[in-house]
Amino acid sequence: MNENEDYAMVREQAQRFLNDAMDPEYLRALLEAPGSFDGRTWASVIEFGWPAIAVAEEHDGLGLGWRGLCVLAEESGRKTASLPLVPSAVAAQLIFAHADRAVHQEDGAALVSGARYACLALARTDDAGLADPPELHLRGALLHGTSALTPFAASADYALVAAQDGETFSLLLVALAQPAVSRTPSCAIDNSRAAAELSFDGARVRVLATGNEARTAFWRAASLAALATAFEQIGGAQTCLEMARDYALERKAFGQPIGRFQAIKGKLADMYIRIELARGCALDALAALEQGDPSWLGLAASARVAATDAYEVSARENIQTHGAIGVTWEALPHHHYRRSRALGIELGAAIMWRERLLAESGFASAA
Amino acid sequence: MNFDIDPADLAFREEVRTFVRENLPPEMAARTLRNYHFLRDDQREWTRILNKKGWSGQNWPQEWGGTGWTPIRQFIFEDECFMAGAPPIDTAGFKMIGPVIMNFGSAALKQEFGPKILNGDVFWGQGFSEPNAGSDLGSLRTTAVRDGDDYVINGQKIWTSYVETAEMIFVLVKTDPEAKQRGISMVLVDKNAPGVTIRPIIDIGECHTLNEVFFDNVRTPVRYLVGEEGKGWTYAKYLLDMERAFSAEWPRNKRYLAQLRALAGCARSNGRRLIDAPGFAARLAQLEIDLQALEWLTLRALYERKGGTTLPVGSLLKVRGSELLQKIGEMQVEALGDHAAYFYADPRDQAVSDVGWPPGPAYAPGIVADYMYRRATTIYGGANEVQRTIIAKTFLEL
Repeated sequence: MNENEDYAMVREQAQRFLNDAMDPEYLRALLEAPGSFDGRTWASVIEFGWPAIAVAEEHDGLGLGWRGLCVLAEESGRKTASLPLVPSAVAAQLIFAHADRAVHQEDGAALVSGARYACLALARTDDAGLADPPELHLRGALLHGTSALTPFAASADYALVAAQDGETFSLLLVALAQPAVSRTPSCAIDNSRAAAELSFDGARVRVLATGNEARTAFWRAASLAALATAFEQIGGAQTCLEMARDYALERKAFGQPIGRFQAIKGKLADMYIRIELARGCALDALAALEQGDPSWLGLAASARVAATDAYEVSARENIQTHGAIGVTWEALPHHHYRRSRALGIELGAAIMWRERLLAESGFASAA
Repeated sequence: MNFDIDPADLAFREEVRTFVRENLPPEMAARTLRNYHFLRDDQREWTRILNKKGWSGQNWPQEWGGTGWTPIRQFIFEDECFMAGAPPIDTAGFKMIGPVIMNFGSAALKQEFGPKILNGDVFWGQGFSEPNAGSDLGSLRTTAVRDGDDYVINGQKIWTSYVETAEMIFVLVKTDPEAKQRGISMVLVDKNAPGVTIRPIIDIGECHTLNEVFFDNVRTPVRYLVGEEGKGWTYAKYLLDMERAFSAEWPRNKRYLAQLRALAGCARSNGRRLIDAPGFAARLAQLEIDLQALEWLTLRALYERKGGTTLPVGSLLKVRGSELLQKIGEMQVEALGDHAAYFYADPRDQAVSDVGWPPGPAYAPGIVADYMYRRATTIYGGANEVQRTIIAKTFLEL
């Protein structure tokens, strides 16, 4: 399967740029400070037009669709870059699909240009799932409540949230620069996710959808994000495999490279198998999405589960292959271990997506 | 093998439980129960509390000043202490170098160190691994050359746990660089001796528990040679088998699984409990089975050691115990859901002690910190890949 030339070019450019930009010292500094947003890299990728990649040309986007975004997500994942590409793309899509163009033109345009970026505050607190039913409340058209720890919320300009308006499910876009919004960044397992809790104390909102339309849009948004994130996870897992392979060839024990031992060979082969299985699921879901096949929602759930598994296992086994050096702060394997955990929690844990998958397959009682 | 429970052992369990309840300082227990690394000061204080009662040397025979307890009583004691939140006693001193000194050391060494270990006056660092000799310990390069009444030591050790707060180091050295394993000896070195440099290694969880130790013409008296020159490899194998026998960490597995059970039974914000999710429940049940199997494997190892047979089940215990700890940890963080996204490396961090922060159960930050560090368990004490090779060789003659 050859990648179309446009995507191959995007991938090559991303690799070239991220290889230089994501040097270990820089990544370590981001990990050391809670709530770190990688503004330097974000400023560069704006220049490349990355925030516009999935947006249609009629909205001044690059028109490379979700596949284009997935290429960037995979390459970001490989280098543990932490950029709000996926949240912004999801928010932009919702704005163009649901909002009154005239009213929201400015918001959409800002997301496409990258001048502003969004976060997805879709997770439930005290749970491993997503906020359906929502925890936040609309009272008199103003938003109240506190979100779960949300990636990029420490500095994002917008948050996509779901809220309960009486009995009605509402999907909202909130501009975060207003006095009724406060952010609480926290020490996190992966500080470079720029994560924070968001508290809303009567915040003004823009309603994107209400009722059943809103709930459908909510799960569509979550699934789109999960699909692109699956590629990010696969990219990370791929790097773990490559790191482990390189180390297995270099490190010697008992008079030979450890890669000669079957215990290590088998481990690396298992990583490879899991990654390729996840990649298959993700490509399948992406193709279904592009063809407008409604089964893409179930396939995206599969991709989410398989990619979460592939990344977590690969991150662990990369550490194991590195031996004691793998459990030090200085070495890079823990960056992936942390990122794999963060990505596995954000957007809901695998346990929830398994239920989602069964529900999409017609086992309605599974949820 | 007969595992009938002796009523006297049940009474013993009650006695231990009462003692721990009355003597373990509550704030120390609260600290330990959070799953973070233990503090040396807590360990020292607890060792001394135990020593006053004559209980610090649980695995030592009475002639060494130990309790002379049967394996089942040691097991009960460790179980009760761990569940109550007592800090662990010093493995390096009580379970590793202590028995080596007592079995193979000179009368003078026994007299010098036995009482100090028992009273928590001397803690130990293990100077085995080197940058190019980890699981493959035989290729170590640190040398000790005899010079009058001293050995002069040169070389580097790495991954030495907790040596920063220890008093002594036991070191594997080459006294005969030509001979391979037969040229290896074990010597004791004062951590503060001139020429010893300790450099911290920050671990995966942002903590300092590991170190590099450099020896630059370090002098240690010849009387600190353990046993005979050239027999260090034999002692090290004895000691590592002891380490592996205890690395099943059955009590830790038990306590962590109890935490997981509690998490699984809590109602979440969506009103449901994890235990009601069939997939989760099935995995939890499997962990219960694994834990029970580990308990019996540990007991079997202890009984067989007592009987004088030396079935080397240490490797089995190491593999099963370490992998079970990791599996429980992985399910714990999964069960914590969004609460597992918060991370605090140090329990003394002001933010962690603020009431209500971070969100979730009070022990959540410790679980997440432990989830990071716990990756080391399948590596230290001889990587599990190497343990499996030993199992294949020893039991299956492969």
